[in-house]
Amino acid sequence: MKVAEEAAPGLRRPSRWLDLRGRHEGAWAYALNRLTAIGLIAYLYVHLGVLSLLAHGPSTWNSFLATTKAPFFTALDAVVLLGVLFHSLNGIRVVLTGVGVAVRWHRLLFRSLMALAAILFLVAGLLWSIRG
Amino acid sequence: MTAESVAVDLEVLRYRPGEGSRLENFSVQVAKGTKVLDALDAIWATLDHSLMFRRACHHSSCGACAMRINGRERLACVTQVAEAAEEHQPIRVEPLHNLPVVGDLVVDVAGFFARMTASDLVITRSAEPELPVSVDPLPASLSLRQVVVPEDLDRFIRFESCIECGICVSVCPSMAADDGFLGPAALAGIHRTREATGDATESAHLLALADGDGGVWRCHSSFECTASCPQAVDPAGRIMSLRGQILARRWGRMWGR
Amino acid sequence: MRAGFGIEKRSTTSWLWQAATGILLLPLLALHLIANHFVVAGGERNFAEVAACMGNPAIVVLEVLFLVVVTSHAMLGLRSILFDMGVPTRWRPALGRGVAILGVLTVAYGIWLTITIIR
Repeated sequence: MKVAEEAAPGLRRPSRWLDLRGRHEGAWAYALNRLTAIGLIAYLYVHLGVLSLLAHGPSTWNSFLATTKAPFFTALDAVVLLGVLFHSLNGIRVVLTGVGVAVRWHRLLFRSLMALAAILFLVAGLLWSIRG
Repeated sequence: MTAESVAVDLEVLRYRPGEGSRLENFSVQVAKGTKVLDALDAIWATLDHSLMFRRACHHSSCGACAMRINGRERLACVTQVAEAAEEHQPIRVEPLHNLPVVGDLVVDVAGFFARMTASDLVITRSAEPELPVSVDPLPASLSLRQVVVPEDLDRFIRFESCIECGICVSVCPSMAADDGFLGPAALAGIHRTREATGDATESAHLLALADGDGGVWRCHSSFECTASCPQAVDPAGRIMSLRGQILARRWGRMWGR
Repeated sequence: MRAGFGIEKRSTTSWLWQAATGILLLPLLALHLIANHFVVAGGERNFAEVAACMGNPAIVVLEVLFLVVVTSHAMLGLRSILFDMGVPTRWRPALGRGVAILGVLTVAYGIWLTITIIR
């Protein structure tokens, strides 16, 4: 015997959207949408904070740019782009099905949009490497 | 026990108010090809008379035995022991989520039915009480409508299929977060009642209820209710359809129609 | 009111605004990413290039529009996430106002920064 959960096991728990055991792709889409939303909101403020360096003049901004060549920043850019692509394309599914369009094909719609996200990510990587 | 019986291991969530919860392991012998509900019956009959669980019809018509089996909401009466044991050993059995647990596997469904009442759904057909109670052949005067099966049968989903099992409420991420949400079953009920009623006032009230704070806009489009419904009621499809109807009404009002 | 479920509508247009700002964001964000990060050597503009870019009024208008739309979308999302964390109903109006103020401050900061760069 072991303690499984705290008292009143069936009561509401707001964090339950993160518990994806036994769930289908719709719940995964919702949870990932939330996670990317939280990440993108955080990134919005990081981005705005970084842009404040522009107010300090050319030397501050240009020396900051030199530090962004580090692999860490490229990796961060890739993560942000993945988040943006997932959130945007899943958003199209949420809006379309949310007004009654393609409701019966929501799974196919989700899979197609995620395939498109993967293609766009690869294209972006290709552009990134060509541009240098 | 006959040669046809097999040993089954289960871990069942035990809970009593004030005592907290724990998983308790049981091993029972059940007949081959049996269902999880039969295994629970065997535990109750042979090992522990204090085990609380709900069941009635044993053939997926009453919805009483909805529970979480290996983390997935299912009807215990139609879930094969062999299949469940293949997924996870021992078979884990827990109560539904998002409803208060009364004890062990029994949840308090009062809130669920309060929502169903709000939807004004009457599942019993109005013609039923008029049918003869005797076992005599039906009188010739009683004309029965011929049932026409539509060609696109997969789209012909009757909400009356709802067995009010509460699975859609357990799987819904919005239900987990918001006490004021009407939930998938009640919103699907509103959709169905609006289809059936000829009363314009009733229909408008129900649409306003669906458009209210506890209504369709709280849904996060996870479609878990539709994916998990054992009766193919498609609550998510009906929620999306209600949204379309609300938008059409708002659009009409904007242009004074 | 039946069985405790009412027809009050305090926040039902939020979903529509979230959807509308989301749709608007698709072209605005694509434009922002391509114009500022993909067609620029090294992925970032140096100070002189930023100043030259912001000298174009059309770009300034588009960037400010992008800021307003992205902040609206973010604040509606943040509000929804906070509400879903089990916040008592009576606190929701105050929390909603707090998020709205954060949005206004964010846009004001962005506009201040834009003006500072243009100057």
